Amino acid sequence: MNNSLKSSVPTDREVILGILNNSEDTLNKLYKAYYAMVLQFILNNNGDEDDAKDVYQEGIIILYNKIKAGNFELSSKLKTYIYSVCRRIWLKKLSLNSKKAGNITDYEDVFAVEEDVEHHEEKDAAFVKMQSALDHLGEPCKTIIQDFYIHNLSMQDICEKFGYTNTDNAKTQKYKCLQRLKKIFFQP
Amino acid sequence: MRNDLELDAIIEDYLLGKLNAQETEAFEQLRLNDATVDHRVVSHKFFLASMDAFAEQLRLKEQLNHIHSEIDVEGLADTFKPHPSKIIQLWRKNKSVVAVAASFIVLSLVSIYSIQHNNKQEAIYEKMSREISRVKQSQNNLVLDVKASTLHNSPKKPNSGNFGGTGFAVSTNGYILTNLHVVNGADSLYVQNSRGESFKVKSVYTDPQNDIAILKINDKHFSGLSTIPYTIKKSISNIGENVYTLGYPKDDIVLGEGSVSSRSGFIGDTTQYQVSILVNPGNSGGPLLDNNGNLVGIISGKQDQTEGAAFAIKSKYILEAMRAIPQDSLGANRLSANKKSLLSGLKRTKQIERLEDYVFMIKVY
Repeated sequence: MNNSLKSSVPTDREVILGILNNSEDTLNKLYKAYYAMVLQFILNNNGDEDDAKDVYQEGIIILYNKIKAGNFELSSKLKTYIYSVCRRIWLKKLSLNSKKAGNITDYEDVFAVEEDVEHHEEKDAAFVKMQSALDHLGEPCKTIIQDFYIHNLSMQDICEKFGYTNTDNAKTQKYKCLQRLKKIFFQP
Repeated sequence: MRNDLELDAIIEDYLLGKLNAQETEAFEQLRLNDATVDHRVVSHKFFLASMDAFAEQLRLKEQLNHIHSEIDVEGLADTFKPHPSKIIQLWRKNKSVVAVAASFIVLSLVSIYSIQHNNKQEAIYEKMSREISRVKQSQNNLVLDVKASTLHNSPKKPNSGNFGGTGFAVSTNGYILTNLHVVNGADSLYVQNSRGESFKVKSVYTDPQNDIAILKINDKHFSGLSTIPYTIKKSISNIGENVYTLGYPKDDIVLGEGSVSSRSGFIGDTTQYQVSILVNPGNSGGPLLDNNGNLVGIISGKQDQTEGAAFAIKSKYILEAMRAIPQDSLGANRLSANKKSLLSGLKRTKQIERLEDYVFMIKVY
């Protein structure tokens, strides 16, 4: 497993170009290439497989967004970047849970990525707000909103899915939901 | 309420660019006139952007989850999990430290070993070189290869021998002492005195340990010698004592002068002295005498790497060798340690004048 993962490690250039072109294959390769590294780090530093998954995915998302934003400068190997980001995230989580983080076992070189991680956390806070707003919305509003804005269903589909007599009714319902959601979302 | 909903719908359509040109213009007019509408447009725009980012994030997470489900997490986790055993955990955590320590130990062991090994080699090498130089001493330095001189002298002396050395009389009836390496392996032996007379000799005693041989003149023309002028010195000579030797590195007798420079010989050989006399092939077996005409030793070799270091067998081994010969056969008038040297008090030139008759060239065939 380990070997097969390593054998398919894409080059850093390949990854950047692939992500810019929305290549699912590249994302797949990227994800599989460095997962073991982060898993090893987390497992040996008071974490479990789930922690590893969360941290790694966050790390990948940070890299993904940074590449997408177009301001990614390859100043180090991607591997080192991912490791540093994941390490930073995990150290923060450890200190949040007031777990012992005194003696960190490192497996790779590390460099400063605080800025990237903090930037990501700000964005993430907004997502958390949106998620909780959606959760507060209650059914069927939540599903309607999700279907329309996240899964990109048309009003026609939603109309059929929820059994509204016509799309206008569905639309009215959607805007009612939207109004409530915005109210919750913009609540200070 | 209904108007509100309619307004929202229009705002969204406006932001998504779904309104036609006329409607857009009308709505923009409304926005300009009504600050509340404008405010709602801005906030909705922000909301939509947030929603978009949120949606994208969710889709990406979904994708990652999908990829993640393809990975054999448990298998990997087993590989990387901290091992229950403390030792292995310790090993994993301190792998690099242990590796550095181990390589340091290995390195130092290797260097210690190689130092020892080198020393050993050096010792062997010295031993070898000693052996080699022994061979060299006997073969190259001290046994005169007289083939060259044979060519020059062949008209006068057709039989001048293949190798040569020096020897000296230890009794008046024709016993001659020399180095064993001079006469070793000889078919026949002759000695020649300073007047050019040759006598046939045979080897009667050899001492391989001290490199001493005693020859006996076995020739009807030999009429005996007069009293031997020198005596054997029993005590050990001091460093700095002036000594000289007579020998036949060429066809005529040659004097070599110097002093005792060490009480031990080649590589600490205590049976020998080191003397600062320039000796040449052919000097081997020559007598080493001090200023008073006491026999200090026998010239036996020199060190080929070092200049001015020759070696002489100590005189007490001459006495030992002579004791091995039946005492009757040596005759009454023989070399001994008890008499007073007849050379004592004479000038060097006079000493040599008297010595000449007792120093022989050894010719080996």
